[in-house]
Amino acid sequence: MKTSKIKILILIFIFSSPILLLAQDVDKIISKHIKAHGGEKNWSAVNSMKITGEFTAFSVVEDFTFIKTKTNYYAEQYLGQHKVTEAFNGETGWTIDPWQEIEYARKINASEENVFLQKNEFCTPFFYYKKKGHIVEYVGKEKVDGIEVYILKLTRANENVETWYLNAKTYLEYKCESMWIDFAWASPAETYFEDFQKVDGIIIPFYVERIFSQRNRIVKIKNVEINPTIDQSIFEMPKTEEILKLESFVGEWNVAVELWTRRGTWYPIDNTTSNFEFAGTNMIQENISYERMFPISIISNMTYDSKTKRYRTSIFNDFNSSISILEGDFSEDSFILDDIKISFGDENDDERVFTQLSFTNIEKDAFIMEFKTSTDNGTTWQPRDRFSYTRK
Amino acid sequence: MKKNIIIICLIAIFMVSQILVAYSQQDDATWYQFRGNERNGTSPETGLLKKWSKSGPDLLWKKDLGSGFSEIIISDNVFYTMISDKSEEKTGSEYMAAFDAKSGTEFWRTKVDSIFIDVDDWGNGPRSTPTYDKENIYCLSSFGKLYSISRKNGKINWTVDFVAEFNSVVPRWGFSTSPMLINNTLIMEVGGADSKAFMAFDPKNGKVIWEKANGNSTYSSPVLFTIENEAQILFANSGFLHSFNTKGDTLWTYKLPLRTPTAAPVLIDNNKIFLSALGAVGFVIIEIKDNKATEVLQGSTMKNDYSSSCYFDGYIYGFNTATLQCISPETGEKLWTKRGFGKGCLILIDGKLLVLSDQGKLVLVEATPDAYNEISIFQAVEGKSWTAPSFNKGRIFIRNLTEMACYKLN
Repeated sequence: MKTSKIKILILIFIFSSPILLLAQDVDKIISKHIKAHGGEKNWSAVNSMKITGEFTAFSVVEDFTFIKTKTNYYAEQYLGQHKVTEAFNGETGWTIDPWQEIEYARKINASEENVFLQKNEFCTPFFYYKKKGHIVEYVGKEKVDGIEVYILKLTRANENVETWYLNAKTYLEYKCESMWIDFAWASPAETYFEDFQKVDGIIIPFYVERIFSQRNRIVKIKNVEINPTIDQSIFEMPKTEEILKLESFVGEWNVAVELWTRRGTWYPIDNTTSNFEFAGTNMIQENISYERMFPISIISNMTYDSKTKRYRTSIFNDFNSSISILEGDFSEDSFILDDIKISFGDENDDERVFTQLSFTNIEKDAFIMEFKTSTDNGTTWQPRDRFSYTRK
Repeated sequence: MKKNIIIICLIAIFMVSQILVAYSQQDDATWYQFRGNERNGTSPETGLLKKWSKSGPDLLWKKDLGSGFSEIIISDNVFYTMISDKSEEKTGSEYMAAFDAKSGTEFWRTKVDSIFIDVDDWGNGPRSTPTYDKENIYCLSSFGKLYSISRKNGKINWTVDFVAEFNSVVPRWGFSTSPMLINNTLIMEVGGADSKAFMAFDPKNGKVIWEKANGNSTYSSPVLFTIENEAQILFANSGFLHSFNTKGDTLWTYKLPLRTPTAAPVLIDNNKIFLSALGAVGFVIIEIKDNKATEVLQGSTMKNDYSSSCYFDGYIYGFNTATLQCISPETGEKLWTKRGFGKGCLILIDGKLLVLSDQGKLVLVEATPDAYNEISIFQAVEGKSWTAPSFNKGRIFIRNLTEMACYKLN
């Protein structure tokens, strides 16, 4: 009997401790917040959304499209004069952002990842926050800009901290303070949510204004389509148009290696295999090992340089630890690169030997790659090695 | 003895005020230079309409206009501004132009330079606002050519090329500083090499009168304040605020705890100066005593970008990045805030704020610290609008990158 009394007293003590009271407050507030957004049931029926409207950046208003699934996010929007495309699958993301003078998709950095996680939220981060690994703490109740708000501290699973201000009357979000990005650099931001509207039972802010660094961005939603069919390929990081022209090289190959003899004939020296694969949004990489008297391993990286509008390849030879950089152009039936215009600080070296790499007889399942050299600035080229590829 | 000092002070105050009155009365205009006659975004006019109808006040005229951010300056029946015309992808011309204030009809335009094309497409054309005296108008092109041009017919009297003559460097967004006329002297930020950051020119012939300090050209413009009964020319440049008398003698220099502001300094209580810029420190207020500047307050509740704040009745009104706010210069406390105007701009007339949103909406707001009190709002011009309005004889003149309009507000 005495033990039971003690237990009761302990329980009373535990349940009356401030921490637990605050925790109760948090869950109560979040429960009302979710209800204010249309409720868990209505949101669970939403699997995808296509959101369109106007996006304002640098005082320029342009149309935008956001596509969201429960795990993925995709956006097309204009930042001033440039169209920016971005996507995120909950873990990794990419962007095509011409402001960084990169015209193809690139992987996002850590600061961008934090922002993409925020953009990726299907509703607000408080939905299933425990499941997501977020921690929410009750900070207090205050008046902000004349509005009574509950202040919640959200620590995301990635340890980034955000402060949310929920309207104490409506339980809808009024403001959020979080880290954002300004041209890929981390920057603190204030985001304001207004004009909440009902769409198929769920409540969404149709006007979101974000102020960070010296910027302000406004999202003005005009239409929300619930559960449209989403082409999942939009979330995949796209290859550059130019690198896709080399796609026929991608695959596993059998390779016959020949050496150009002094007698002016090709001499077979090895049969080996090679692998070409996309190593990035703008890069195809080849790995090949063969014997040219001694074992040699070569790694070649082919990319497209949008500034010079030429293809470029770097060839690393592990046998002599040499690196060749060649530039060239691709046409339907040939792909020829050389280092005539590549400077290694040896412009005045009369004895410099130039290299040319040519891809010819390009077919679906075969092509020939040939190395040539020149000692007269590319006026004439002497064959050196030939590699005949047939698809495995 | 004490009596004599008071008399001397009164005489000094009278003389300075007469000089300033003489400077400001340019051909009976009430808006003859950047940010108005006092360069403080304020007009002394009264009798504004109490409120506007939903469609806005009476439109006097609306016209297409070549691209530029230059403000409109007004002389009764004529107004002037700088514009540009893009003839091809990256070519075109920059002009000084005069228009009929009653109809918006162009009187003349004079080519002053090649067009300034902004690679990031924020907006092409001139950023500087001209000024005028009785006969001539003075303007600065985007590539640093200072002109004297006849108001009557647009004929060029003289020109000075800052880049060629003073080794000035063209700023990223072109020369943006606005000329200031005082005491028959044309005051300019030049950004030239060898102590030619700030210069004074003879408006008659463009000859140099004085030159001072080091620093490249910025996006700020000089102001003239009367502080401790002395006319002081203030320049913000390279992290410093410089004060000179009208002869070019240095009165004091103050190292700014914030970025060099684009927004104009604001005079408070006759001897305090409010400066604001983007960055961690948003504003600083300094007090000038015996030609010595002392910081009295700094804070982050107001961060002006390119749009300047206005001071009225003890309070600062301005854009905290992209939020219209009222703050107390005593404490820095934010008294009210209003979003929705983007990076807008404002002027102050008859106790009211005339706010132009970055999308061309004109808003009439009570200039009171009590609360944001919006009286009227309407769409005045279309599209990106970053140029502050100008005001003359009850008319508001608004321009943006593509059009200009004049509305009757009395």
